[in-house]
Formats: sequence, structure tokens, C-alpha cells
Amino acid sequence: MKRLGAVAALLLGLLVVASIVACGGGSDSSEDVGDAGGNGASGSTLRMVGNDPLTLDPALVTDAVSASYIVEIYSGLVTIGQDLKIAPDIAKSWDVSPDGRTYTFHLREDVVFQQTYRQVTAEDFKYSMERTANPDTVSTVAEAYLGDIVGVKEMINGTASEISGIEAVDDFTLRITIDDAKPYFIAKMACPTAFVVDKTQIEDDRRNWTKKPHGTGPYQVKQWKLGESLTLQANQRYYAGVPAVKTVEFVLSGGSRLTMYEDDEVDVAGVSVNDIERVLDSSDPLHSEYLSADMMSVSYLGFNTQKAPFDDPKVRQAFGMAVDREKIVEVVLKDMVPVAHSVLPPGLPGYNAGATVATFDPEKAKQLLAESSYGGPSGLPKVTLSQVGAGATAGDDTQAMVEMWKKNLGVEVEIQQTDQATFWQDLDKKSYQMFAAGWVMDYPDPEDILDILFNSKSHQNNTGYNNPEVDRLLIQARTEQDSSKRMALYQQAEELILADAPWIPLYYGRDHVVVKPYVKDFMLPPVVMPYLKYVTIDE
Amino acid sequence: MQGLLPYLVRRLLWVPVILLAVSFIAFAITRFGPGDPVRVAMGQYSDPVVLERVRHEEGLDKPLLQQYGIYVKNLAHGKLGESFTYRNRDVSEVIFPKIWVSARLGLVAMLIVFAVGVPLGVFAALRQGTWADPLSISTLLVFQSIPVLISVPLMQIVLVLKLHWLPAAGWGGILDTHIVMPALAISLPGIAGVARLTRATMLSVLREDYVRTARAKGLGEFTVITRHVVRNSLLPLVTVVGISLATLVEGAFFAEMLLGVPGIGQLAFQAVNGRDYNIILALILILTTTFIIASIAIDIAYTIIDPRVRYERREIG
Repeated sequence: MKRLGAVAALLLGLLVVASIVACGGGSDSSEDVGDAGGNGASGSTLRMVGNDPLTLDPALVTDAVSASYIVEIYSGLVTIGQDLKIAPDIAKSWDVSPDGRTYTFHLREDVVFQQTYRQVTAEDFKYSMERTANPDTVSTVAEAYLGDIVGVKEMINGTASEISGIEAVDDFTLRITIDDAKPYFIAKMACPTAFVVDKTQIEDDRRNWTKKPHGTGPYQVKQWKLGESLTLQANQRYYAGVPAVKTVEFVLSGGSRLTMYEDDEVDVAGVSVNDIERVLDSSDPLHSEYLSADMMSVSYLGFNTQKAPFDDPKVRQAFGMAVDREKIVEVVLKDMVPVAHSVLPPGLPGYNAGATVATFDPEKAKQLLAESSYGGPSGLPKVTLSQVGAGATAGDDTQAMVEMWKKNLGVEVEIQQTDQATFWQDLDKKSYQMFAAGWVMDYPDPEDILDILFNSKSHQNNTGYNNPEVDRLLIQARTEQDSSKRMALYQQAEELILADAPWIPLYYGRDHVVVKPYVKDFMLPPVVMPYLKYVTIDE
Repeated sequence: MQGLLPYLVRRLLWVPVILLAVSFIAFAITRFGPGDPVRVAMGQYSDPVVLERVRHEEGLDKPLLQQYGIYVKNLAHGKLGESFTYRNRDVSEVIFPKIWVSARLGLVAMLIVFAVGVPLGVFAALRQGTWADPLSISTLLVFQSIPVLISVPLMQIVLVLKLHWLPAAGWGGILDTHIVMPALAISLPGIAGVARLTRATMLSVLREDYVRTARAKGLGEFTVITRHVVRNSLLPLVTVVGISLATLVEGAFFAEMLLGVPGIGQLAFQAVNGRDYNIILALILILTTTFIIASIAIDIAYTIIDPRVRYERREIG
């Protein structure tokens, strides 16, 4: 019995192993993720490392990763060009009514959906935007990007079954009416929520259409294996010219990117703070392949202006002046990011190179703290800086700041870390005194940061900042038609905000990559926008 | 094996009870804990009005018991729900391919652990008293002490960048070079444990009377070792094998992340971070089920390997 049992167990084991190997071998032959190295680019294929898109449905996208793929696969009325300005896309031109509230878009007649080549008409745009606003779609971003259009709010609430402000005048003329003369409306139309989707495909296969969507962009999805790889193929009927790079492969499963790059498994790889010194060293072979570019994003320390001790602007200003950000960037961050001296990052219309944020001045800082309603460091309640983290270590820059507050102000700041989900929930509840956060521009207009974050009535005002003068400027800027006057209003608002210091702006974003020498015209997009179509590969 | 069937039935009857209890506790923790999947999905865009609306549309504002009832009803129909992170994707289509990848990787790692660990343990036990015993065990302990975060980059420098024997990252199935580094990274720490267990059990078996009897009967040393000693040392290993098989569905987070293996380890971590309730619950249910099955299988294996083990009810008096 015992012997039979042992032999039987062994045979069963072998059978199990054999069947796993057989199944594994067969189904994986097409599953190859990652090259075995050393081949270089094969013809016109660009191999990149990417993160998993959470969705390829333009109506649902909220994260930059998913959006970066969506802008290559789909397109809309307008887009963001290489000069970071709004440019015509499917709409070859548009007229704005004298009262600034009605936009009439004239569509190209050579735009077709991928795979089926069905022609795109104004009706398709109306369908797409109504789909985004439809409560059945469960989009979290319909209000934000389409909310200015008349009738959208009613559709979201379920009291209307169509958007009254969108009209397909004829096949190639689309008329959109918005609730006020807002010049930044056109910038919002460059975001995925306004992109056109294929009604026929969606109604045919509601569950699975996003796996191989019929977009209208420069690339189409050839294959998407969740968590493994995403392969894009040049759209042969792309109306603005078929892209030079025929295939783009994204490795989604992760892995040490720089090692993969050095092993010739990918053509582009990000460079982290651990590797930047090696790459910047001119004697290193990677140095000639290094590329960096400014991003339209800003990191900051935010203060809860409704909570002690940061309800007193002098305390906020004191904390800001006690931190030597230049030194932190130079020593801790190895100059990888530019020090922020404003709220609006460079490249954004309205960016003010002369914006005066309080600079490092420990004497003045001490003085301000003494002048504040708390009388000095001993009069302060316990101060906590909240950030996202795993509890093992605060970032080197945060620790440096804590040291500086101790040394220059005599204040002991405690660091509290929570995971991302808890952090956002507590931030929304305004439980924090001081917190570390960042903001990434969705579209190139100052409204997307100043109005959204600093207007006292805004739902996303996470500092509780309330300045009636700033509110007045922001509201006026919403409908100011003259572009330079409008930017001046935003810059005035920014000056007031910097003086009141609900923020310590820390750094602007900057991306660092290495790119293989045979990949030409590779750009790092400062904001989410299509860029793969500009790349070429030297064979 | 007469008492085995009633024993089996008794054990299996507990399974739905355990699953319900575990799933309810997990369900309650997800709903009452901090963080919210819709808020996470919204990213930097934080409008509370939109948050409430979408939470309502997803049914997350219903009372806990009602939500749980809906979940169990769907479960009874075999539906694990949709992912909150990967919009409009079924949980099953997100997790099963990854579990399959991690299971294959884990299986290869297990084979290495036992194929290397058991013979090494036997070797060390037989060489007890000589330098070979402590040397072999110490070497394995060194490997056990190196964390995956260190061993993987070291392997990458040597095997990938210097020798070009292996690719840096990715996955190509069980018969592909991509599996070598992650399998090694996962298995190396485990070999020491198995070797030491084998060695300890063997040493105690070697002292048993029946071994002395076998030798006294005139059996060759090789026969004594293989037929009597090793077989009797295997019992504790059965438990280890069973538990290892059950935990194949856990995946290995660091190895997968550093080597680009699309396994369940990374996803499980992301799901918890992102509060993807349906994925978290599905993984907990799957892991609980595999543990229960493994534990039953181990107990049955014991009765096959060691006839002294019985599970009938004892009679009193």
C-alpha cells in the first residue's frame, strides 16, 4: 500500500508537471514579452517601457498614463501641437460668435475610423460627448471637461437624454454652445473626454470594444495584453500623414528599465536619481544618449489655511522663508528638477518668469514667526507634515526641510506618512496642517491650476484658501476675451497668492531619459499630447 | 482507509462556512477602512460632488450588509465582479492570467528548492560530524540571508550585462530564458529551509531502532538510507510542499517587479494600494480556498505515506 501510494504520487506529480509545461509552452509562444537582448531596433519598431493603461476609454480616463496612450489612438476637434498651443485637428477651423458663447467647428472630410474606415461626421462627435455625460458610462470627469457646455449638467443628472448645447448642423459642421464666454473652453476640447469614438463598434460590443478600439488617431491598437504588453501600429489612413514609426511596442510588465536599455531590450528608458550622476558624467557612454525636458507640473507644500498654526499668513511665510530650496535641489536632488519660484510652471501661457516668491531668508523668517499671532516657536501647536509614503523613510528633501525648520525657526516638525488612497481622502477632509502634493496640468491654460485650486468656491481648493480679491480676478479672467489682458489678470492673482503663501512652491517637473542614437526627433511631452508621430528611426 | 471518507466530508462541509466568514471580514475591512476606490480612480481631480455621485452609481453608499448580500449573490453565480482600477474589466480576466504566470514561476522555483534542498539535506545529515555538514548548511544560509532586492540586481549585472546569457526582464512562459532569474531569485532563500528540515528529520530517523535493525540484518548502507531512512524523513516535508503549493497563487512581489514578470504579486500590491475592492476580495477568497484544499491534501497524504496516521473517531470505553 505504502509503496503503491508513493509510486502513484510520483506519477501524478510528473503528470501535473508535464501538463503544465505543455500548456505553458503552447500558450506562451505568442506571449513573448521583452527581447532576449542585443538586437537593437528591428526596422521601424520603437520599443518602450510603459505602465499599464487603466482604461482605453476616453470617457473614463483620469490618469496621465492611460491618457498618454489615448491621445495616440484617438483624436478630437483640436489637439496640442509641438509648440504646446491648441491646434486644429479633426476640426480644420472654427468660428466663435461675437458673444463668445457659440463655437462652430468645420470638420475635415477625410477622417475615418480605424479598421472599418467609416467616415467621421459631426453626429459622431455629438454621440461621443453625450456618451461621456451619460450616467450609465459612470465617468468621473464629465463635469470637469464638458461641464461648460449647455445641457451637460442635465444629462449627467439624468434629467436630459441628450446635450442641448451640442448640435450637428450638418455632416461636417458641429456647433457647441457654452454657458459663458470662456476662452479656455477650446483648451478643454483637446482633452480625451471630447475625443470621438465609434458608435457602431461600441453598440456592437459594449464590454470589449476598448481592447481594440476604432480610434481616429495616428496609431491603432494591434494587441493589448493586460499587464504584459501593448502594441500600437501606424494608422495607414491617418488624415494628417501616416507616422514614420510603423510599430510601437510597450513593455508593461515592468523590470529594471535602465538595465533593459543597456541590454538593448528597449529603445528609451527613464533615468532616476540613482543613475543620474552616471548619465551626466561625460565619460559614460550613456551621456550622449541623455535627454531631459521640463514638464508642465509643479510640486509644492500646501498649508491648511483654516487650521492652526497656518491660519496666520505670517506663520506660512515664515515656514516658506526658512527653507533653502536651491540648496536642497543642488545637494539632495542633484539638480534634476528646477526650483519653483511661481505657481504657474514654465511653458504654460501666463507663466511669469519674474514672479516673486519669498526667497530663503532665515532671519526674516524668525522675525515673521515672532510677529505672528503665536508669538514664536514655543507658542505653536504640534506641527505635522503629511505626505504619501510607506513609513520607512521620508524623502531626503523632506528630511532636509525638517532640519531647516528646526535650525532656522526652532520648530520641530513631525512627518506623517500614509498610503496614497488614505492621503487623498484625508486631504479632501482637510485633516492636515501641512502636506506635500503636486499638480499636473491637464490642458495648457492657467485656469486649470489657479481657478481650480485657489478659488474659494472651488470644490478642489485643498488649502481652504479664501481671498476675495483673488476670487474677483479669477472670475473676471474666466471671460476676458483679450488674451494678454487675461494673462495679466492671472499673473496678478498669482502675485497675491504667492504673497499670502498658502503654498511653498518647491520644484517644477522635469523628465530624464536616455534614448538610443538611432531614434530621432524623440520629444518628452510636457503635457499629455500625441508625440509618437513625430519620431523617426534611422535604419 | 475506512474512516477517511467521513473525515473528508466533514472537512469539506466546513469550506463554505470558512469562506463566508473570511469574505465577510475582508468585505467589512475594505468598506470601513480609510481610502476609497472611486476617489483613487479620480486622481488629482477631487470634486466631492462627483465622488458622491459615482459612489452612488457604483452602489458603494448602500448599507454594508446589503452590499455584502449583493456580492455573495453574484459570487453564487460565479461572478467575481468588475475591477475598479481597470475600468469595465472583469476581475477574473484581470487576475487569472497573472495567477497562472505566478503559479508557473512558483512551481519552477519549488522544483528547484526541493530538487536541490532535499539531497543537500540528506548529504549534510550523512556527513554529520565532518566539515561538509556545517559548510553546506552555512552556504545555504548565506543565500537565504540575501534579500531579493539585492540578489536580483547582482544577477542582472553578472548574467545580463556582463555575460549576456539572459534577458533583463520580461516573461516568455515556462520553457523560456526569462524564467531563469526570477526562479533563482525566489528559490535560493527557500533551499536553506528545506535542506535544514530534511537534515534534522533524517538525523532523528537515523537514531531510530528500526534503522539499527536494518543495518544489523546486513542490508547495504545505500539500501538502508534509501529504503528506510529517507522515506521516513519525508513526512514533515509533505507539509512544506502542501503549503508551498497553496501559496503559489500569492506571487512574489519584488522578483516580479524587478524582472518584469506579469504576475499576481505586483497586482495584489497595486490592488490594495488602489483599494480595488473586488480584486482584493477575489484574491483573498482564492488564497483561502487553496489553503484549505492544501491542508486537506496534506492530511490525506499523511495517511498514504504513514499508515500509523488515522482519522477515524475514537471509541470511548
